[in-house]
Formats: sequence, structure tokens, C-alpha cells
Amino acid sequence: MDLFLQFLANGLVTGTFYALSALGLTLIFGLMRVVNFAHGEFYMLGGVLGWFVTAHLGLDFFSGLVLVAVVMAGFGWLVDRVLIERVRGQGEEPGILLTIGLSIFLANTALLLAGTAPQKIAGPLPNAPVFLGPVVLTEMRIFAVAVCAALILGAHLLIKKTKLGRAMRATFQDPMAAQLAGIKTARVYASTFALGSVLAASSGMLLGAIYSAQVTVGGIVSLKAFVVVILGGMGSFAGAIVGGLLLGVAEAFWGGYVSTGMVDIIGFIIVILTLIFKPYGLFSARAERA
Amino acid sequence: MNQNTSPLLQVRGLHVAYGKTAALHGIDLEVGKGEIVALIGANGAGKSTTLRAISGLLKPTAGSITWEDKPITGWSADRVVAQGIAHCPEERHIWPAMTVKENLMLGGFLCRTHAEVEERIGMAFHRFPRLRERQKQLAGTLSGGEQQMLAIARALMSEPRLLLLDEPSLGLSPKMADEVFTVVQEINAHGVTVMIVEQNVYNALSVASRAYVVETGRISASDSAANLLQDPDVLNAYLGA
Repeated sequence: MDLFLQFLANGLVTGTFYALSALGLTLIFGLMRVVNFAHGEFYMLGGVLGWFVTAHLGLDFFSGLVLVAVVMAGFGWLVDRVLIERVRGQGEEPGILLTIGLSIFLANTALLLAGTAPQKIAGPLPNAPVFLGPVVLTEMRIFAVAVCAALILGAHLLIKKTKLGRAMRATFQDPMAAQLAGIKTARVYASTFALGSVLAASSGMLLGAIYSAQVTVGGIVSLKAFVVVILGGMGSFAGAIVGGLLLGVAEAFWGGYVSTGMVDIIGFIIVILTLIFKPYGLFSARAERA
Repeated sequence: MNQNTSPLLQVRGLHVAYGKTAALHGIDLEVGKGEIVALIGANGAGKSTTLRAISGLLKPTAGSITWEDKPITGWSADRVVAQGIAHCPEERHIWPAMTVKENLMLGGFLCRTHAEVEERIGMAFHRFPRLRERQKQLAGTLSGGEQQMLAIARALMSEPRLLLLDEPSLGLSPKMADEVFTVVQEINAHGVTVMIVEQNVYNALSVASRAYVVETGRISASDSAANLLQDPDVLNAYLGA
């Protein structure tokens, strides 16, 4: 039983990270209909930049996180205005090709500049164990989960409660009506892409402090984010959170009780089952149209 | 129209094309302050295209649009609405997955303060009591007539001086359509100039003071609504008389 609780706790911790990294992907898809294959590279950039600003510029973790968020917001904005803008309204395929190209470019540029060695980001808290009954976690992990939860909540409030969030939803539901209301839709798209980039990069930096930041990590991160988004439903906020937690817990149990060597297979099993039984995911608004 | 004052809106030689297909071949029209002007004509004649070019949804290939003596040709839609021209598009285009109130709040997107938005929403609820009752409902769950009222109320949230109304009676019961036309007259009585596109020519001519007849991308006739209602050609073509 104690082992079960420990696996559950580990799974929920990892699941929170999955949820945050998938959130950016699902937002960009849900609001802009862009399937962003460079999502994992945005996560990677967050980690590598996080390592650079803390280890080389000497910033503390929080200032570093803020700086990375600002830089990645600007980067996401530019990617949208300079690249995505050109394929807007042409269906999903041109966007997919474009972001695949971007992911290759980013991964190789990072490889050239930062090298292949994994880099540990100095976290604000030690990896000292914390005992919660029979469950052991580290201070840094609890802290990272709290930051993830805060970022998820912040993104939720931004979309539901602010003027920019309303403009985002309006642009997604009916871009023409949004223009007629005076909304500059090009700015809304760029802001959405910037927000998605910030969420991906923040989770990259947080996890870089727990595991390590590595330039080759993009592929696996994209893969997991797609698993979560397919499970939860493309474009669904709640789906990304529940999907992330489910994937985290499923992997923890599989790793704990079955085999640690083949943990990544769980994601593929989930995707296959979802596509067979619930092809629009658990929470998709499009389910009734299926 | 009163010829002594310069028109509120002046359109000269307007050409619009969808790709290589020309839709408008030189539209000329004027709208004076306080008027209700109707554009009538068959399906595909270019009525909606004219409105879409004025509101900035489409870029004209030639010609000019002048608003209060200022050229606004080719301006983007968000700039045009800021100038005081609101476009209530065909098929309503409300945001279905947002509440009635959120739809109205977004209609007032260009307001500088939240208080201003709330004040205008109060006015909208005063004019459309049913929207107040349904303010927390998702707009997609409203009836067709209520959705049309919401679309008009949303357009009025920008406090326009000119309201472009595209097919407001489309898909409505005759009783509901009458209500919509009554609202249009009320709005006009409060000083908002209206340009209305309608396939229901009889209804359009009964609220409008003047009308332009659009045929294959050109203005083929223009006269007072009363005269057009007597015109045998118009009656034949559009009223099936």
C-alpha cells in the first residue's frame, strides 16, 4: 500500500509537469488551429536558456524564470508574425510542415550553440527529502508542482477573465465577428502563440532544475505533449490537465509494477486506445460532432 | 436626401474582386446623416460585398470610400469600427460558446473603461429586455430572433453613427422579422444612420427612406422607397407582383 501511494504521488508530480507542457500545445491548437510540432523545442529552449541565465548570467532561479518567460514570449510572438502568419487560413497541413521545419532548425541551432551535454539548472530549493506519511518527495519537486499549478491557474484566469482572453476566445470562435468588434486578430494570434511558448518554456526550465536541460529533449517532450492532448481532447484546457495527470500516473504504475525499461510505451498504448474508443478525446467540445 | 449637407458616407466607383472574379464593378452611393438606406437586389448581386468593403472586411481593388470627409478606403475592419461604422453581418455571427453578456462585452471591445462597457450593456438590456433575462446563457442556445437581437445589440455596443445591417430578417418568422424592423426604426430614431441589405424587399422598403437597386455588381436604380414600391420593374423583379 505504501508503495502504491508513493507511485501515485510520483505519477501526480510528473503528471503536473506533463499537463503544463501540454497546455501550451493545446492552447495553440484550440485557439489557432495550428498543430505545433516545434512545441518540444520551445520546451527545450526554456531549459537551455534557463541554464544559460542562471549558470552564465548568474541570475537566481526566479529572475531567470521571468527573463526566460519574457524572452520566449517575444520569440513566440515573432514566430507567429514572421512565420505562422504566412500560412494562416490555409488549413492545418502547411502549419504542420512549417513547425516541423522550425523544430529541426531550433534543435540543430541549439546543438551548435549549447552542445549535447545535459545541464543541470540550479533550483531555488535543495533536493532534500520531505516525508508526507509514507510518501517521500523532494522540496524541489513540491515547489515545481506548486509553480506549475500556479502557471496553469494563471493561464486559466487569463483566458476566462481578462479582456485579452475574451478576445482570444472570440477570435477562435468567429474571427470575422472579432474583427468587426474592433479586435486586431493578428495581435490575438501572436499573443496566443507567445502564451503557448511561455508555458512550454517555463515547464522546460522547471524540469531542467529537477532533471536536466538538454538540447535533444524536444522530440520526446513533443511526443508526450501530443499523447496528453490526444487523450484530453485537442484544444481542451481541462483535457490537458486531466490527460497530463493520467499519463503521469499510468507511467508511474507501469514503471513501478511492470517494467521501468518500457515506460514510454504507455503513451503509445494510451494514444491507440483513445483513438479507437474516443477519437476526439475525453473533453473535446467536438465530440458531439463525431 | 438633403443635398445641402455633405453625405456621411460616400462610395465612388467601388470595385471588389474575390480572387480573379470581379464582384463589384463600380458602385456609387451616398448615405446622409439620419437616413435609413436600403440596398436591394437578387442573391449574388453584390449587396453584402458592398457592406463588407465598407466595413473593411474586404479590400477594394479600385474606387473610394469616404466617411465624414475622411478617406477610409482599404482600412482594416478594426480601424473602421473605431471610426463609428458598425457592421452587423449576415447570419449574425454571434460567438456561440460565449454568454450573451460576454458577447456584449466584446462588442464594446474598443471602450476605454470597464464602466463605459457596463453602461452600454445597461442600455442594451434596456432596449432588449430579453437579453437581460438570458445574459448568462450561451449565445448559441438562443432562438434565431434572439440571436439577431443580440447581433444588433452587440453592433450597437461600439456606439456607431452608421449601422450596416446585413439581412437581419433572414430565417426569422414574419412576426419576429417585424420586431427586428421595429427595432431598426427605433435605433434610427435615436440618431443612428442605417444602411440595410435585405432580400425581403417589401420590408426593407417600408422602413427605408431611400434605396439602391444592385444588379450584378452595379447600381441599376436609386430612388425614394415610396417611388420604388410603385415601380412596376422593381415589383416584378423582387416582389413577384
